[in-house]
Amino acid sequence: MRTFEYHAPQTIDDALRLLQAGESARPVAGGTDLVVQMKERATRFPYPETIVSLDRVSELRFIETGGDALRIGAGATMTDVAADSTVRAHYPALAEGAGVVGSLQTMNMATIGGNLCNAAPSADTAPSLLVYGADTVIIGPKGRRTLAIADFFRGPGLTALEPGELLAELRLSAQPASTGSIYQRNTPRKQMDIAVVGVAVALTLASDTIERARVALGAVAPTPVRATAAEAALMGQPATEETFARAAEAAATEDASPIDDVRASAAFRRHLVKVITSRLLVQAAARAKDNR
Amino acid sequence: MPKQLISLTINGTPREVTVEPSWTLLETTREALNLTGPKEGCGTGDCGACSMIVDGRLVTSCLMLAPQANGRRVTTIEGLQTNGTLDPVQQAFIETGGLQCGFCIPGMIMAARDLLDRNDNPSPKEIRDGLAGNLCRCTGYTKIYEAVELAAQRIRGGD
Amino acid sequence: MARETTIRPPTDANGHHAVGQRVTRLEGPAKVTGRTVYADDMKLPGMVHAKVLYAPYAHALIKSMDTAAAEALSGVHSVITAMDLPEYARNDSNRRNLIFPDKEVLFYGQPLAAVLAEDPHVAEEAVGLIDVAYEVLPAVIDPVAAIEPGSPLVREPLGDVDRSEERGHVSVQSEETEQTDDRPTNIASTAPFRRGDVDASFAAADVIVENTWRSSMTHQSYIEPHSTIASYDVSGELNVWTSTQAPFYIRDELAMAFGILENRIRVTATEVGGGFGGKIYLHELLTAALAIKVQRPVKYIMSRKDDMLAATPAPFAHIELKTGMKKDGTLTALQAKLIYDSGAFPGASVLAGCILIGGYYKCDNLDIMGYEVLTNKVSVGALRAPAAHNATFAIERHMDIMARELGLDPLEVRLKNAVEEGDPMPNGQPYPRIGLRECLEAAADSRLWRDRREIESKSNRGVGIAVGGWLGGLQPASAIAALNKDGTVNITVGSADITGTNTSFQQIAAEVLNLPLDRVNVTYGDTRTAPYAGMSAGSKTLYTVGRAVKLACEDMRDQMFDLAKQRLEAEPEDMELANGQVQIKGAPDRAMTFARLGYLSTNFGAPFPAVVGRGAITARKNAPGFTAQIADVEVDPDTGDVTLHGFTIAQDVGFAINPLSVEGQMQGGASQGIGLALWEEMLYDEEGRLLNPNLLDYRLPTSRDLPPIETIIVEVPSEEGPFGARIVGEPSIVAGIAAIGNAIENAVGARVTESPFTPERIVRTLGKL
Repeated sequence: MRTFEYHAPQTIDDALRLLQAGESARPVAGGTDLVVQMKERATRFPYPETIVSLDRVSELRFIETGGDALRIGAGATMTDVAADSTVRAHYPALAEGAGVVGSLQTMNMATIGGNLCNAAPSADTAPSLLVYGADTVIIGPKGRRTLAIADFFRGPGLTALEPGELLAELRLSAQPASTGSIYQRNTPRKQMDIAVVGVAVALTLASDTIERARVALGAVAPTPVRATAAEAALMGQPATEETFARAAEAAATEDASPIDDVRASAAFRRHLVKVITSRLLVQAAARAKDNR
Repeated sequence: MPKQLISLTINGTPREVTVEPSWTLLETTREALNLTGPKEGCGTGDCGACSMIVDGRLVTSCLMLAPQANGRRVTTIEGLQTNGTLDPVQQAFIETGGLQCGFCIPGMIMAARDLLDRNDNPSPKEIRDGLAGNLCRCTGYTKIYEAVELAAQRIRGGD
Repeated sequence: MARETTIRPPTDANGHHAVGQRVTRLEGPAKVTGRTVYADDMKLPGMVHAKVLYAPYAHALIKSMDTAAAEALSGVHSVITAMDLPEYARNDSNRRNLIFPDKEVLFYGQPLAAVLAEDPHVAEEAVGLIDVAYEVLPAVIDPVAAIEPGSPLVREPLGDVDRSEERGHVSVQSEETEQTDDRPTNIASTAPFRRGDVDASFAAADVIVENTWRSSMTHQSYIEPHSTIASYDVSGELNVWTSTQAPFYIRDELAMAFGILENRIRVTATEVGGGFGGKIYLHELLTAALAIKVQRPVKYIMSRKDDMLAATPAPFAHIELKTGMKKDGTLTALQAKLIYDSGAFPGASVLAGCILIGGYYKCDNLDIMGYEVLTNKVSVGALRAPAAHNATFAIERHMDIMARELGLDPLEVRLKNAVEEGDPMPNGQPYPRIGLRECLEAAADSRLWRDRREIESKSNRGVGIAVGGWLGGLQPASAIAALNKDGTVNITVGSADITGTNTSFQQIAAEVLNLPLDRVNVTYGDTRTAPYAGMSAGSKTLYTVGRAVKLACEDMRDQMFDLAKQRLEAEPEDMELANGQVQIKGAPDRAMTFARLGYLSTNFGAPFPAVVGRGAITARKNAPGFTAQIADVEVDPDTGDVTLHGFTIAQDVGFAINPLSVEGQMQGGASQGIGLALWEEMLYDEEGRLLNPNLLDYRLPTSRDLPPIETIIVEVPSEEGPFGARIVGEPSIVAGIAAIGNAIENAVGARVTESPFTPERIVRTLGKL
């Protein structure tokens, strides 16, 4: 790896100051994506001259419940998120997404902020945050702003962050009662893999009618995406296998726009979206009933 | 570019070392600290041969920048023995035949140690899940599973 | 967890005390403490690091190469191109005789130039500054299209092809023919085997099955990438430390390449971090050339990506197979066309594939044609029983399919046709005593096979069986046994220990000398200190070097008897070794201890000559090893996910000198076969670029993917092996693809004809895509 200047600020303010150098300065958190890309000279931006490591910024590493919402610091590791009792109880899809990233070692190092800022279409925490309607809190030289997670991703490796800005935290509002949610991905191996397809689902049921539906897909579009056609097919419908099959079909044919790559063909990805979405809707409905 | 002086506690001993910021923790231990136990099998976090325990967390040291280890406690395979006695995990790997070429073993044993630190009575499934970040090409893992079971039994005192 | 069974027919009444016992590895303590020294763990004074420029195209002409910017980078020692290399015996027909091409690039990842620097990061940076102008040529990627007349040519016609490395892996009477036709083609060699009348036999068959089977290009994926250090100085001595299975072979090749006497070269096989056939002789020539050029020690460590791009992986094969069977399950006709993709240089063991596809079963009518085909891809080498898994996939799927069509039991059909001692291989060579039938019988009695009906009653579950085998290589070997002053024994051999052979040698020596294990230690020396041994490949190390160790110890025993003659007043035939002494049979108090003999043969003014036993053998008889393997899978027919619930391997090892090591070889090889079946595949694009040069997308099985593998050791003694041992290491990889393929078809009815059986291929085969 070519060398660089290295800083390890302890506060967000110091980190922001160090990042004012613009494109030539890049933040790193767990390093499990960025360090690999730098070793392979495969960054989507010029090779950094300055690295600002966020691993000492304790303000970024927290998971807190405040009022109705859950706040997760961008510096929380995948292990932190996957093991957190609140996340597991109330946002299980997020725990499931965080709990499958790479190896245990990866999960001990990688942060949720890094997973999102790396902006891979296959990012395992993204679909669940989309179905939970999370907000990102971004801090930059001009102050703090809030952006819906759906607006955060702009393309493979691209986010809404302006130069000098940091993703600071995620805010997840309370889910309605009778909501069931789940994330699953498909990979050839049972671990140490990148999602061929990732699907998150959140269903809110009023008796057996779907009152609210959120479906999001990973690895089938330039960014993780909400499956709006699938959601439309679910809203107000009875929670039956027929409904789920229709929604899964819509997710596969209308919401997914996959490509062929080294991991799978576009056609197989569409097929998997249908199969997995339909299965997850059944499971999310069962969880919703458990949450009554 | 400026080199940096970092200090870390490696296998219980405080050390200071001057590093390029671009060095990984793995390079630092192997090249600067002369601890060549941890191995580089891939350099991209996909094989686990470089696994170390840093402040109680199992990491792939090929992806941790050296200065990120500043001030931290690092345990490598060389640090598992106490007073010339093998750790029960090391001993078990020998006895069950859980090693062949040995290249993955420094990382594999750290992963097994980390697993048993968290859970000294793992089920067969928990053992398989706990080692999944460490590739072994020689053994097919069977005798590694047996080693971890044997070590767990001894750590629990059921030898 | 896993069940480990040994089936050992009673052989002799003499209980062994050392061989046949479960003994832990001699190197165990060093390996679990991180103290084992692998090549990359070494540093030499004045050492520089090499990094290599790899070709970015599969086929191109090099128009110019500008190294000025790379040389100007601070910290760069030198940039070495094809023009700068020291003189060597270059032969562009062989991968191993060509360092850098100066004109034509033949595969993506071919080494083109090297940068030397004290800091490897600087060397790496400088590689990126070498400016090459290429004229890109059409790349020939598909070997099936490449054999068609009129196909574009991969390269200039081949000249003198050297097949010595392949012969290290398998020794078999060969009818292989180099391409002799005047018109240049992409066919490097052909291997035709015929007997009987296939047309008539097909006409009379009750069932005929015809399929095309394709198996992917795969990588050995040892966890330690290729690693070498070379040093050369004004004394004219060349020293090489390298992760290799074949130190003497490398010495011989380097001597020929540079015109250096073999006794001026020292090749040290450092501990091998996994080889599996892939670490024979690869970039030792390059590293030595660089060391000769700059007169400093040079270290060259391949990154994982380098290794994936530019080592010697295992070939893709396309196999068209037609088989015919009578109603009673007798295999009557077999016709096969095997196309192995050798990459840009010869090296695919098509011969071995041809022998095996027609070599498991008695069959009077054969028509087998093998083609070794060149393409613009990295050239291939050995992967644990090279070329065997591809061919076995085809024939072993057919056996199941024919049995199914005839309503017969797949295991019974195999038993009915299994080859035995005296049956001819496709080349007419008769088999020696072999244990294929015994392996099938052991498999029939295994838990997984007995429970298969119950397992298959669950939805989407299938149990599949397949056999595999390997003939093994043959090479001379030697060993030395020396008596120390305290009565302990040192064994010295020249074979790199890649599987635990040193521990087995310790057991053999302790058995012959009737000593406790700790009285024997074993070293493998370098090519200047060790007695000769062939390469540790072809599963032959224990089979050949083990015999030499046994002979050396017997020689040592005879020398000790001779020395003790006068003092014990007895003849050697009345003596025995027991209790650490030479003693008179029936009178153990009339004895001389090993320590006494050691003292009297080493001390100042001692009366006896030093006791040094010598063992040297040549090996001319194969001891083929067979295996039967059973897989229990669950297939999700909608996602194509396969979960392996169980795997059992029965293997004939002749005699398990060290059952602990033997089980490890069986489990390890089986796991590799499982990997080839389900995940492993080097993926190339249409321009011949490798798309997955990493361990993320070249997927080795993880622990979550592999259940404990059950072993059944079968022991049908070989004629020549030590204590009846036969080849062990390689057969275990051979049957995995076929066993899992059969299991998948039994589970969900999917006849997937291309390995690995990825979720996508399964779903496609089921017609859901």
